[in-house]
Formats: sequence, structure tokens, C-alpha cells
Amino acid sequence: MTGSLGARRLVLLVPTLLGVVTLVFAFLHLVPGDPVEIMLGESAAPADVAALRRDLGLDRPLPAQYARFLLRAARGDLGQSIAFRTSVARAVAGRYPATLELAGAAFVLALGLALPLGVAAALRPGSAVDRIARLASLAGACLPGFWLGPLLILLFSLRLGWLPVSGRGGLAHLVLPATTLGLGMLAVLVRLVRASMIGALGEDYVRSARAKGAPERRVIAVHALRNALLPVTTVAGLQAGALLAGAIITETIFAWPGLGRLLVQAIDARDYPLVQGCVLAIGLTYVGVNTATDLLHRAIDPRLRDAR
Amino acid sequence: MPPAGLVLALQSDPQSLDPRFGVDANAARLADLLHVALTQPDAAARRRPELAASWEVPDPLTIVFHLRSDFHFADGAPVEANDVRATYLAVLDPALASPKRAALAVLSSIDARDPTTVVMHLREPFAPFLDATGLGILPAARARDPGEVTVGAGPFRVVRAERGERIVLEPNPGYPGGPPRLDPLVVRIVPDEVVRVLELKRGGVQLIEDAPEPEMVDWLARFPHLVVRRGPGSSFDYLALNLRDPRLAQRRVREAIALALDRDAVVRFILGGAARPASGLLAPEHWAYAPARTHRHDPARARRLLERAGYPDPDGPGPLPRFRLVYKTSNQPERRRLAEAIQAALAQIGIALEVRTYEWGTLFADVRSGNFQLCALAWVGIGDPDLYYLAFHSTMRPPAGYNRGGYASPVMDRLMESGRRELDPGRRRAIYARIQRRAARDLPVVPLWWEDRIVVQSQRLRGFEPSPDGDLHGLARAWMEAGEAAQVPEEPPEKEAERESAQAARGGSRAGVGLGASEQQSARSARAADGPPEDLNTE
Repeated sequence: MTGSLGARRLVLLVPTLLGVVTLVFAFLHLVPGDPVEIMLGESAAPADVAALRRDLGLDRPLPAQYARFLLRAARGDLGQSIAFRTSVARAVAGRYPATLELAGAAFVLALGLALPLGVAAALRPGSAVDRIARLASLAGACLPGFWLGPLLILLFSLRLGWLPVSGRGGLAHLVLPATTLGLGMLAVLVRLVRASMIGALGEDYVRSARAKGAPERRVIAVHALRNALLPVTTVAGLQAGALLAGAIITETIFAWPGLGRLLVQAIDARDYPLVQGCVLAIGLTYVGVNTATDLLHRAIDPRLRDAR
Repeated sequence: MPPAGLVLALQSDPQSLDPRFGVDANAARLADLLHVALTQPDAAARRRPELAASWEVPDPLTIVFHLRSDFHFADGAPVEANDVRATYLAVLDPALASPKRAALAVLSSIDARDPTTVVMHLREPFAPFLDATGLGILPAARARDPGEVTVGAGPFRVVRAERGERIVLEPNPGYPGGPPRLDPLVVRIVPDEVVRVLELKRGGVQLIEDAPEPEMVDWLARFPHLVVRRGPGSSFDYLALNLRDPRLAQRRVREAIALALDRDAVVRFILGGAARPASGLLAPEHWAYAPARTHRHDPARARRLLERAGYPDPDGPGPLPRFRLVYKTSNQPERRRLAEAIQAALAQIGIALEVRTYEWGTLFADVRSGNFQLCALAWVGIGDPDLYYLAFHSTMRPPAGYNRGGYASPVMDRLMESGRRELDPGRRRAIYARIQRRAARDLPVVPLWWEDRIVVQSQRLRGFEPSPDGDLHGLARAWMEAGEAAQVPEEPPEKEAERESAQAARGGSRAGVGLGASEQQSARSARAADGPPEDLNTE
């Protein structure tokens, strides 16, 4: 069943990505700005501008350019970056691991803290732990990354001297950007886990488990938490996509050499192929994460496994 | 003394480390470190020998360069005339699509007479041509490689380039006079201004060339392990006016706008005093500079000029304006503050200014296409005064040039044409003096100010002389003083800011063939560009 779902999602992947690429292509060409003028400069001879436009295929009608891009992409050729004069695939591949590392760390951090904090808050509503969890989630939802990032640097790098200010390196370099990026997701998940757990703990099956004498730890971990996790996995999957978008700001603040910064550069340069390559990579990741979420959902919930 | 390293922070990744392709500000800066050119500019924008020991002009169409024989590429091979010839021919090859090709259009042929003699033949007498000889030289065998070639004969060579993160350089052992003493020289890409400043304070970075906001400069100046160096800069900020608009086509209106602006106040309160009110494109340090009229703040006279231009104030001191204009600007905070200051100044003389902010690519496209009334721009890295031709000649209206406001004056056209044909420096200088005076009178743009050059560096960095246009040639002979790592205090000491005036830089350079100047949204943000790609384009 899981296998056929995976296959169905893979089939759906194609129109989804096609839609993303089509929208990006259309919007990019609506925005003012010309990559050839940017590339050759304003003093370039009109003949040179025309020749380069021809070489890059930018003199063709938009539908022809679009068809050409699609045909190439289908063969795995994303074209050449206009601004950086390198293959788009190479440019994207060079930056993708950094973004994945940052978003992955933020995801692990957010989920790793949200689960215990949310469960603890749900077990004792109104307690000090609950109040702290709710306050932390409120703060996390309110603090924008562009403000929080420099603040964390001031505290942990400059005042305490514990962590590096910026750049990519070992684990120490990852802590502040991952915290900045993951805090928003943490805020959402803590509230969700708490609410979901409170709901699950009031269900009949939990009461039955307790009545049958199941140990409290087992009641919480197996009966309540497993059911409470269903909405959490769905939201976590969606939030993972938001992490990729949020990474653009975090990468800029912490000089993190990821895909988000490359995308901003590409947009500034009206580097159409590179923008499309970056968006395609982000779109693929987003769809991949959500497919994985669906599969996980089915693994957790036997009702979905058995459903036709 | 054992070599010690230096970490330099730049705002954006250089578009290319290859001198055939890199045109953004940071590409030019890296070219200073990696490549050697026939000539380089000095602080007065005169061309000085670099690879060429000397040159002669036997006739108006020929330039003979005599090369030094002590330059070597990073792989140990000597730099010879053949390498120069191959590099120039590669840039001229349309198949390579080099953005620097247009600057060499006047070059008809190039010969390598012997290993140390290069002869260039021009299609016509062209005085500004030497500005195009700032092109970095590549080994002949690599000159036509379609990919990025970084092998050069500059003071440093590339060890590792992690794009978007850092470029690690080491001294070129074959550099004349001995290899540089900074080993390694790490160029880190730190896009966020606040983080660049914090890295500097923490000691993770020892030099920043893109001056931060004035208040941050003052803060940094309070730390004893840092030195803020200020010196005259060559960047020229101006108010661009679209002369296709019937109101702005009137010289009186343009002059009224110039008189309404209180440059001294803006320089003091928005730029932190880090600029000088300008009279024209060329700063006083430029070899062709001539004093010209500056428009001092005089709102009463501005109002009278508007009356005489046929724009009476409909309700005197009341709220109704004489007319409305749209001012376009980028979304940079400093540019927005400047827009508000200009808006307030023009409101005092009865011109209502609507400020619209745009993302740079969109703003630049509007400026290029003439879709603007007012906007503030800057020229950075100004070299030959032929920039006047590119910016104000009637044939240089887009799409062919930079005359975006559509200024046209037959007298100025003739002067600017003779300026590029005249080879005698004395007579050329006289021509440009007339051009500067006439531009100050006609006001095709409203001059604002020349921005100062502000460099913040570790106190341990010695022997580095910042240049007016922010080039990095000075690092070839700089070194880090031995000693303990910087002691970073938790709080700034309560002492007077420690500042050191930068000497007028020597050996300035803008390696860019191409334009001698690039136009930028804010010279403060990066010497060049704005642009696309983290400065990828020439803003």
C-alpha cells in the first residue's frame, strides 16, 4: 500500500514541479530587467547584445524559450547560469548541501524540543512547565529571524564568546543559524503537540488503557503520543517547506553559503536559468519532504494503511 | 617575521575571478590581488605602469608597451607579450561574450613584437584607451578557455574558492620584489552589514572595505583593537533628472532643485560627515578636475527661479504644491533616508515629491529605460574623464549609453568629442575644465557629493594604504603585526574615538576595462554594483 502511495506521489510530482517551473518562468519574464544588459554592461555594442541574446536563446518568443527549457530539463540539463557562467546544476549542487544542513538542523532542533516540551506541558496544564512552553512558543512565533539572529550573535558570540559569529564550519557554526531558523517552527509545534496531547489524553482509548492497568509511561508514549503525532507530522512536513523559505534570511544574516543566497543573487541578476534551477531544487525538496510525511503518516496510522 | 594571515570581509561574492568576465566591484577587487595588468590607475586616475614598465605613442594610432620581465604567473611561467596579446584577442572574440569587449572596440590589432614588447594599433585616435589597459593578463594557453581561469601573475594566487563563503589566497612566490607577507589572505563573503561589523569587533575579520552605516563606524572607532581610516573617495553621488519631462527640461527648474538641497546638512546628519559636497563627476584629486560652480542651499532663490520658470505657488505658504514629481529609489535604508531628506527640501520650495521604493533590478531597469523623473545614483571608480561622453553625449542615450536623462547640448557634444580625440594632456585638461564648468551650469544631473572612503581594520594590519576607490592593491605589501590576538573588551572603553586619517591612497586601481566607472545605487554598499548577483551588476 505504501509502495503504491509512493508511486502515486511520484507521478504527482511531475505536474507539481511543472506548475512551479511554469509560474517562476512566467513571473521572471514579467519582472523588468534584462540579463544580457546586466551581463554585458550598458556600453556594450548593440550587435554584441543581439549576438549574446541569440546565443542564450533570449531572442526567441517566450513559449519557445519555455519549451526549450522544459526539453533540456527533461534531459537533466538545467542550462548555464548567465551571471556566473557555470552550469546551473553545478551551481545549485554546490550550495544545496549547506541549505539542507541548515534546514535539517533547524528541523531536528525544533522537533526535538517541541515533542518533550509539548508533552510535558500537556501532562500538567497550567503548571510552570506549561507556562514556560506557552511563553516560549509565543516568543518564537513573534521574533523575526532578522532581529533574533543578530541578538543571538551579540549574546553568544560577542558577550559570552561561546560560538562563532558567522560562516559555515563545524557544529559550533550551526548552532546559532539553526536556532534562528528553527525557533518559528518550534513555536508552532510546541502548541500543536500540547493541544494534540491534551486531546488524546482525554480519549476513551487512553482511559481504557489506564483501566487495564497499563503503565503510565506506556499510556503516554504508545497510546496518547502516537495518536497525537498524526497532526504534528502533517504540520511538521509543511513547516519543513517554510524552513527552506526562511533559510534565505538566515543564510544572509549568518553568511551561510546556501541555496537561498544563491537564489537572491540570481534574482538580482535576472539570471533566469539559475532562478529556475534554485526554485526547482527547493520545489523538489518540498515535495519530497511532504511525500515522506505522507508515508510516515501511514506508518503511524494503521487505518490509513488499510484504507483503499 | 613569520607570515601571518588576514581575513577580509566583502558584502558579496565576486561574479568571477576571471579578468575577462568579472565586472562587478568585488570581481575588480579580487582582480587586483590575482592578476597583473599593463597599467593601473593612481589616486589621481592617471595610468601608471604595472606590467608595462613604460609605453610610447609613436603616432596617434599606435601604442608600444615595453613589459617588465620579472612578473611570473602563479604556475611559475614568465608573463610575456604573447600572453598579453592572447588575453586581449580573447576578450575581443565575440564567441567569448566578454562584457569588456566594448571597451576594446577601438583596438584594431595587437602584435607581440618580442617577449617584452606589445604593439597596439587603434582604429582612430582615442585618448581614453589607456583606461582599457587595466585588463588582467592570463597565460596565453588559457586565454580562450570558456570556463573561469584564475591563474594570474598578481601578488596572490587562489588556493580554494568556496563560492558564497570564502576564497582562500596565498602569496604568489614569483611576485616581483618578493611574495606578499599576508599568508593566507582569506576573503570571506558576509552579506549582512551588522554581522560584518560584529565579526570585526570579535576579531574574526580584520578588514572591511565597504563602510557600514555612520553610527556603526562611530561605534567601531571606540575599540582599541580597531582603526577607522577615512580618506577622500572618488565616488560621485548625484540626482538624476529626466529631461524628457517638460518641467525638468527647463534649466531654471533644475537649478531650483539644486538650490533647494542642503547638502551640508545631509552630509552631516545622514552620511555622518563622510562626504564632500560635489561640483561635478571629478573629485578634486582627479588629474582633470577643475573648480566649478556649486549650488549652495538657497531656498528663497530657488522659489524665485520656479516663479520665473512659470510655476507660481498656487497658495503661497499653503499646502498646495507648484507641481508634483516622482522620486524612485532602492529599498536600501540609507537611500530611503536620503529620499526623505530630498522630499523635505523640495517641499520647502513648493515641489511635492512622491517617493517610491523598488528592488534594485526593477529600479535599474526603469532608470535604463528612462521611466523615471528623479532618482539618486552614484558613479564609482571614476577613471578617465571620458565618462562625461558616456554620461552626457547626445548619442549616449539608452540603449547605447548612460545618458539616461536625455541631456543634449551641441556645444557639450563637440567638447566631449574633442576630449576623447585630444592626446596632449595639457590641452585635454583644458577641454575637460570647460566641460565641467558647462555641466555645472547646465545641470544635466544635480551633483550631490563625493563620498569619503572609510576602511575599518585591525590595528595589527600594517603597511596597507586604502585607495579612494577601494581597490586592494595595497595588500600586496601589507603585513600583520605579531602579537597577542586582539583583546576584545566587553564594552567600548569610555575614551575618545580613535581615528586615523588615511593618506590619499597610492596605486588606486580599477582593474575594470570597461567602463572606468560603474554606476551604483550606493557607493557605500559596495564599490560597485548592485546588482544582480550580490552585486553582480553595475549599479
